[in-house]
Amino acid sequence: MDLKVHLNCPGPIQLDAEFECAAGELIALVGPSGSGKTSLLRAVAGLLRPPRLAGQVALGKTLWFDSEQGIALGPQQRRVGLVFQNYALFPNLSALENVAVACPSQLDIWNDASLRALFERLGLAGLERRRPAELSGGQQQRVALARALRRITHQAQEASPHHGVLLLDEPFSAVDAPTRQTLYRELASLRQEVSTPMILVTHDLAEARRLADRVVILDGGRTLQSGPPAKVFASPRNARVADLVGIQNHFEGHFFKQSPGWGRLSWRDSGGATLDLQVIDKNRLADGAAISWVLVGEHIDLLPASGPSVEPSTHDNFLICQLLELLPLGETSLCMFSPKALPQSRLTLNLSSSQLRKLEAKPGSLLQLRLPPEGIHIMPQRAAP
Amino acid sequence: MDWQAARVSILLAALTALVLLPVGILLARWLAWSRWRGKPLAEALLMLPLLLPPTVIGFYFLLVLGTNSTLGNWLSQSMGLRLVFSFEGLLLASALINLPFMVQPIQRAFASLPDNLREAAWVSGLSSWQTFWKIELPLAWPGMLAGIALTVAHTLGEFGVVLMVGGSIAGETRTLSVAIYDRVQAFDLGGAHQMALALVLFSLLALALVFAAGRTGSPGKGVPR
Repeated sequence: MDLKVHLNCPGPIQLDAEFECAAGELIALVGPSGSGKTSLLRAVAGLLRPPRLAGQVALGKTLWFDSEQGIALGPQQRRVGLVFQNYALFPNLSALENVAVACPSQLDIWNDASLRALFERLGLAGLERRRPAELSGGQQQRVALARALRRITHQAQEASPHHGVLLLDEPFSAVDAPTRQTLYRELASLRQEVSTPMILVTHDLAEARRLADRVVILDGGRTLQSGPPAKVFASPRNARVADLVGIQNHFEGHFFKQSPGWGRLSWRDSGGATLDLQVIDKNRLADGAAISWVLVGEHIDLLPASGPSVEPSTHDNFLICQLLELLPLGETSLCMFSPKALPQSRLTLNLSSSQLRKLEAKPGSLLQLRLPPEGIHIMPQRAAP
Repeated sequence: MDWQAARVSILLAALTALVLLPVGILLARWLAWSRWRGKPLAEALLMLPLLLPPTVIGFYFLLVLGTNSTLGNWLSQSMGLRLVFSFEGLLLASALINLPFMVQPIQRAFASLPDNLREAAWVSGLSSWQTFWKIELPLAWPGMLAGIALTVAHTLGEFGVVLMVGGSIAGETRTLSVAIYDRVQAFDLGGAHQMALALVLFSLLALALVFAAGRTGSPGKGVPR
């Protein structure tokens, strides 16, 4: 059962979002605080239903919301397992009662095999009678997850054969780092067993990258770009996405067409100096267009300043740079460079520490950077709002 | 000790609390979560009995429900209900002036429940009614206990409104506080003292109960931080 979401709302909470999530797929809604990611999640769950909300939310063939047909199911009718940011466990109920809250009342919850199996599956066996206040943060999180899973996997209440949707609202933000690592692994192994669409809301890019099959970048309630994390992070569609995914080497310039397939990027810094770089022309930008561009770190090589002269036939760019700062981080080191031709500009790169040692690099020394054209990603300047 | 007056007082206090509890829960729940613009006015209206002199409340009560008024006349003609100088009238007046004492603690209890507890219940499939019954009510219970204790204690101590609306009919509207007044006027200070001391002790007990409920079962207890 695929989840299809297409929602639009002019206010008071602005939404203009469209995304899909296949069964078994985990997508991450990513964006800064106030970007509408939690609102979007709440709209999917049926908790947020402003009067001017338009569009459609559908799980498979079941319509949960359709403004044209006047369908708007309440949260009880949507089959949604939602893990809240602060877990929202019921403080007056025991862990088991929290999970079993939606079970039919005649069920003997203390002798129910499926509930016991769920508790064992999540490492909660023995904690059934504890109140939420008597559980650690990680345990509370598991109880909240168990409650959500119970909701989407439990079949006894309705005859409907399909499962629901698992929604996770920043579920890892309130636990300490070691617990978070454990929970990441739990979620990954859970995905082997539960084949429903899963939506994770997070502002943590590393988390999205690590857990999600696809990321959806949100800003001001709008979905700006979606795709596999590696692709979105390496080639943001526009400058705003580049900002949002935290790309550090993000610059402005102008693009000029050259021989077919190739273009020239004129990089200008605030001091007025310019530097030309060879880039790939994908025929998406007009000649002379003002552009934003980012440097994708994986493609960069470090060479000595006097470096071996390379075949001039390649399209690679060679930049003589001064190393300004060097921060060793173990295997890699965080380096800040300033190109000799553009003393006002700064490049921040994570480079191999052994390579830096080999070149005897220290703050102040001159080095050469090799930037292949495929490591330079050009895009239109800020998307029109 | 005027046992007849004690009986009237206790009956009045118990019935007032009983009548007010459901009304108080509904009002408090609505006030705690409503985003209606006119809410401040409704809250002010609710608090008014705390500030007005009891004689003012009693006076208007007589004016509106007395046998000379249209409403009072209609009530006595069609339903045979006389609301002034009767126990029923006293109960109605008592319920009105005790509204803030019942509503305030319950409203605070509801307001302190995290918003998303209810949402979590709805998402888990609980209807609004089940959510109220299984989640909200158990968590707001200490507030209700406080509301009941305050209402009972305040009803036992009420004097002005009782005298204005009910007068001092033995066995019908003469409460302990009015009986104390009568005893003092008759220079029976010993008799007055007995009843006054009983009221002091009872009120103290009720207040202690309120604070004990606030400590052991405060709505914040057990809420994950």
